[in-house]
Amino acid sequence: MDTVLLLALVSSMLRATTPLLFAALGGLFSERSGVVNIALEGIILFGALAAAVTAQLIEAPAVAQAANARVWYAPWLGVLAAMAVGGLIGWVHAVISIRYKADQIISGTAINLMGIGIPAVILSGLYGNTATSTPIRNRLPSWELFGIDGLAFNPLVYLAFLLVPITWFVVFRTPFGLRLRSVGEHPEAADSLGINVFRMRYVGVVLSGVLAGLAGAYLSIGNVNQFVSEMAGGRGFIALAALIFGKWHPLGVFGATLLFGAFQATEVLLGGGRLLPPTLVQSLPYVLTMVVLAGFVGRSIAPKASGKPFEK
Amino acid sequence: MSIVSERLALFLLAVVAALAVLVAPWAAINRETGARSAVVLLPERVVDFTGRTDPVDLPAQGTVFVLTLVGLAGVGAGAAVRGRGRYLVWIAAGVVLVSGTLYGMNRFYAGVANARQQAFVNEVQRGLDNPRPTVDVAALEQVLAAAGERSLDENLAASADAGLVVRRLPYSNAGFGMSAFLALVVGLFAILFGLRWFPAASRAIDRLLRGAAVPAISILLALLAAAVVILALQPTPVGASVEIDGLFTYLVGRLDTLWYAYYSMFHDSLGTVNGFAESLKFSTPLIFTGLAVAFGFQAGLFNIGAPGQMVMGAIFAMLAGLYVPGPRLVVMPLAILAAALGGGLWGALPGWLKARFGANEVINTILLNFVAASVLLFILSSGNVFAAAAVRIIVVIGVFVALMIVLSLIRPVRALVARAPRVALAVGAVVLLGACIVAGLPQPGDTPVRLQMPFKVPGNEPKSQVLNAAAQLPQLPAMLGIQRAGVNLVSLDYGLLLAPVAALLALLLLPRWRAARPWSRRLPLALGVGALAYGVAWLLGWTSLPTAIPPTKLNLSFLLALLAAALVHVVLFRTRWGYELRAVGLSPRAAEYGGANIARNTVMAMAISGALAGLTATHYVLGGALEDYSLRQSIPTNDGFDGIAVALLGANQPVFIVASAFLFGVLKYGGSVLNITFPNLTREVVSMILALVVLFIAARGFLPQRLFDPRTWMGAESGPAKDDANQKRTTAAEEPT
Repeated sequence: MDTVLLLALVSSMLRATTPLLFAALGGLFSERSGVVNIALEGIILFGALAAAVTAQLIEAPAVAQAANARVWYAPWLGVLAAMAVGGLIGWVHAVISIRYKADQIISGTAINLMGIGIPAVILSGLYGNTATSTPIRNRLPSWELFGIDGLAFNPLVYLAFLLVPITWFVVFRTPFGLRLRSVGEHPEAADSLGINVFRMRYVGVVLSGVLAGLAGAYLSIGNVNQFVSEMAGGRGFIALAALIFGKWHPLGVFGATLLFGAFQATEVLLGGGRLLPPTLVQSLPYVLTMVVLAGFVGRSIAPKASGKPFEK
Repeated sequence: MSIVSERLALFLLAVVAALAVLVAPWAAINRETGARSAVVLLPERVVDFTGRTDPVDLPAQGTVFVLTLVGLAGVGAGAAVRGRGRYLVWIAAGVVLVSGTLYGMNRFYAGVANARQQAFVNEVQRGLDNPRPTVDVAALEQVLAAAGERSLDENLAASADAGLVVRRLPYSNAGFGMSAFLALVVGLFAILFGLRWFPAASRAIDRLLRGAAVPAISILLALLAAAVVILALQPTPVGASVEIDGLFTYLVGRLDTLWYAYYSMFHDSLGTVNGFAESLKFSTPLIFTGLAVAFGFQAGLFNIGAPGQMVMGAIFAMLAGLYVPGPRLVVMPLAILAAALGGGLWGALPGWLKARFGANEVINTILLNFVAASVLLFILSSGNVFAAAAVRIIVVIGVFVALMIVLSLIRPVRALVARAPRVALAVGAVVLLGACIVAGLPQPGDTPVRLQMPFKVPGNEPKSQVLNAAAQLPQLPAMLGIQRAGVNLVSLDYGLLLAPVAALLALLLLPRWRAARPWSRRLPLALGVGALAYGVAWLLGWTSLPTAIPPTKLNLSFLLALLAAALVHVVLFRTRWGYELRAVGLSPRAAEYGGANIARNTVMAMAISGALAGLTATHYVLGGALEDYSLRQSIPTNDGFDGIAVALLGANQPVFIVASAFLFGVLKYGGSVLNITFPNLTREVVSMILALVVLFIAARGFLPQRLFDPRTWMGAESGPAKDDANQKRTTAAEEPT
C-alpha cells in the first residue's frame, strides 16, 4: 500500500471519527447522569443546520458585495450557534424526560422526528428549497498535523480528540464527575447525600446536546460547506453503539469511535464505484456496527439508573 | 364532578369566539391562486386582498351577526349562573349559535351561488355578443333562456355542448372563515356540556373527555405551534395593487392566512370525495406501520425499524409479483404473504439479536433501516463494478462467516471466545476489515462489468419491472365496478355505507341500556337500527346519489389494513399468547416467573411487528399506489417513522390506531394541498406537526394530572377527594353538592 493511499485512509478515518467522537462523548455525559439520549441523531441535525445557517447569514452581507470577501469569524459563530442550539434541544429532551418523567426513548424519537421535519421548514423559509442550505464561502481554517503534507484538518477535528482526555479528567477526577456518575448509578443514594439529582441530570443532558451540536457543526461547515437534509446519516445511533462498545468510558469510547471511523472510511476506499457498488459499500459500517454491538453488548454494564426517571 | 372547570373553559371559548367575530373573517367570497382572498366580516364589512373582486350581495348577515353575539353572550352568561340551571342556558345558547351559524352559512353559499350564476349569464351573454365560429348560437340562446332553472353544473355542461366553454368563473373557492368556525365550535361545546344536565350523559361526557383529553390537547398544541411557523413563513398574500394599511387590515389578513392554511389542510380531505379517498390512501400504510410499532410497544419492544421492514417487504412482494406464475387466486395471496415474510424476517433479526445477545433493539432496528435503504438502492441501480474484486471480498467474508460457524460449534472454542477480552474481538473485526480491503484492491487483469438485476427496468430509472397482472391488487373503484373513474357520475348507495355504521354503533352503545345487554336482544336490535338507518337514507334520497368517483389509487390494501387492525386486536386482547406478550411487555421478570419464554416472545413479537410493516408493500408495490405496479426507490419509508406517532396517538390500541392513521392521512394529504395553495409553505409543515404531536404526548406530564391519570378521576367519580389541591380547585368552580 503506497503512502498516498495510506494518508488518504488515515485522514478519511480521522474525519469520519470526529463527529462520532463528539456525539459519543456527548452521549457519555448524558448516560452517565442516567438519561438515555437517543436524540443525538436529531440534535446533530439541528446543530448542523444552525451552524450552516448562522455562518451563511453572517457572511451574506459581505459576500453580496464581494464574492470572495473574507469573514473569518462567520464559521466560528456558526460553531457557537450549533453548540447553543444543540444545548437547547438537549434541554428540551431533559425537560421532557427529567421533569415530566416521559419515556426517554420516545422523547428522543420525537426529537429525531423533528430533526427530519423542522430543518426542511426552516430551509424553505430561508432558501426556498427543502433540502439544502446555500453553501458558505468562509470555511474554518485548515491546520496541518505534524506538518505532514496531505494531513490537514480543521480545528474541530483537533478539538474532538482533545476532548477525550478532558472528558476523562472531568468525569473521573473532579467532584462534578463523581456527582454525575453517582446520580446515574444510584440517584437515591446521591440524593440522600444532598446532591441535586435533577440538576446534575440537566447538566449532563444539556452538555450532551452541546457536544452533539458540535458534531453537527463539523458535518455541515467543517466537512462540507452546507447543510443537506438528513446529513447525520445515522451517526447519532452509531455513536450510541460506540458508547456501549466503549463501556461508557472516554478511552473506550475513543477506541470504539476510531474503529467505527475506520468502518466508515472503508466507504472511501472501497467506494467510488470502482471496486464494489457504492450503494452496497455504504451499508458496510452499519452492518459492522451491528456485529460489534451483538458481540460486546452482553459484557458492557450500563450506568445502573440509565433510562429510569428519578422520583424524589 | 367535572374534570375540567367547564365554566371557565366555556367562558374563555365564548370570549375568544366573540373577539374572533369582531376581527376574524367570517367567510371568504373569493380565493384566487396564490391564496389571495377577499373576505367578509360580520356585519357587511368586506376586506379585499385580491384587489379585483366585485362585492357580492350576501343576504342575512345582520341577522347572523345578532344571533352569533346573542348565542355567545348566552354561553358566557351561562358560565355565571350558579347551580344546574346553567346547563339549560348552555343548551339554549348553543342551539342559537349553531343554528344561527348554519343558517348564515346556508345564506352565504346561496348568495355565492347566485353570484356565480350571474357571472355565468354574463359570460354567455358576452359569448353571444361576439360569437366565435365554434359556437352554436341558437343552442346557446336556449341555454341562456333556461339558465335560471338549471344548476350551475348543468349550465356549464350545456354551454359546453353549445360550443362555449366557460372556464373561469369567479368565487369558485368561496368558503366560511375562522369566526364562523369558532362560533360553531363554541355552540357545539355549549350543547355538549349542556347535556350534562342528564346524569347519564354527564358520565359519558366525562369519560369521553378523559379519553380524548391528552391526544386532543397534544394535537391542538402542535397545530398552535405550526401556526407560528405558518405565520412566520407566509406573509399575507395580496394582489398587485393592494397595500395592507392599518392594524385592522393587517390583523384580518394574518388571521385569514392562518385560517386558510388550516382550511386547505382539512377541507379537501373531509369535504370532498376525492380528498377523502386520497386521505384514506395516505392513511393505509400508516395503519400498517402504526400497528407494527404498537405491537412492539405492547410487548415492551420499541421497533423503530419499520422503514427497513417496509423496504424488505416491498422487495419480497416485488419478487413474488414478478416470478410466481399462476392464477390470481394463488399469486395474490402469495405476494401478500411474501410482503409479510420480508418485513417479518427483517424484524425478527433485531429481535433475535436482542434475545440472544441482549443487543438493544432500538439501535439495531435503526441501523437495519440504513442497510435496507442501501440494499434497495443497490438492486435498483446499475453501474460498472470490478466484479472480480467484489467476488474476492464476498469469498473472504464467506470464509470468515463459515469459520465462525464451524468454530462456534466446537465447545472449547466457544468458551474461549466467551472469555476473550473485547480487544481481541476488536482486533478480529479490524483483521476482517483489512482482509476485505486487501481482497478488494484491483489486480491486473480485472475488468469492469455492468451490474444489473434481472428485475430492474433497463436504463437509469430506479424502479423494477411492472408486476404480473395476477399479483396486482385491484383498485377500490374497480372493485365497486367502476372502470373509468373520474369521467362520469355514478349513482352510489350511501345507505349501504350508513346502515352498517349505525348498526355497529348500536352494537357498541346498546350495553349501556341494561335490558339490551344480552346478545340475543342486542344483535336483532342493532340490525333493526341498521335497517332503520337505511330507511332514513332512502327517505332522504341518499340511496342513489350521483357521485363523481375520483381516479384514486385507493386499493384493496386499505381493506387489508383494516383487517390487520382487527386481527391485531384479537391476537393482543383475546388470545392467551397476546396476554402473555402484554405481560412480558409490562414486566418481563414477572412474566418469566409466570412461565413466559422471554426470548421466544421477543423474536416472535419483532417478527410480527416487522411483518405488519412489510405489509405496507401491499399498498406501495402490489397496490400500485406509486404511479404503477412496480417497486420504486422513491417508496416513502418515512411512513415507518410516522407509524411511531400514529401508535402513540392511538395509545397502542388497534381501533384508535386506525383513527389516528386516518387523521395523519388527512394531515398528509392536507400538506400536499398546502404545498400547492400557498407560495411559501411546504408540506414539511405537516411532518413537523407529527413530530410535535409525539413530543407533546411524550411530555403529557405537563398537563394537569387529572386529565390522564385514572387514579385521580376514579376518586373524582365517587366524590370529591379531600386532600387533593386539583380536586379542590375543581370543586370550587362547581356548585356545592
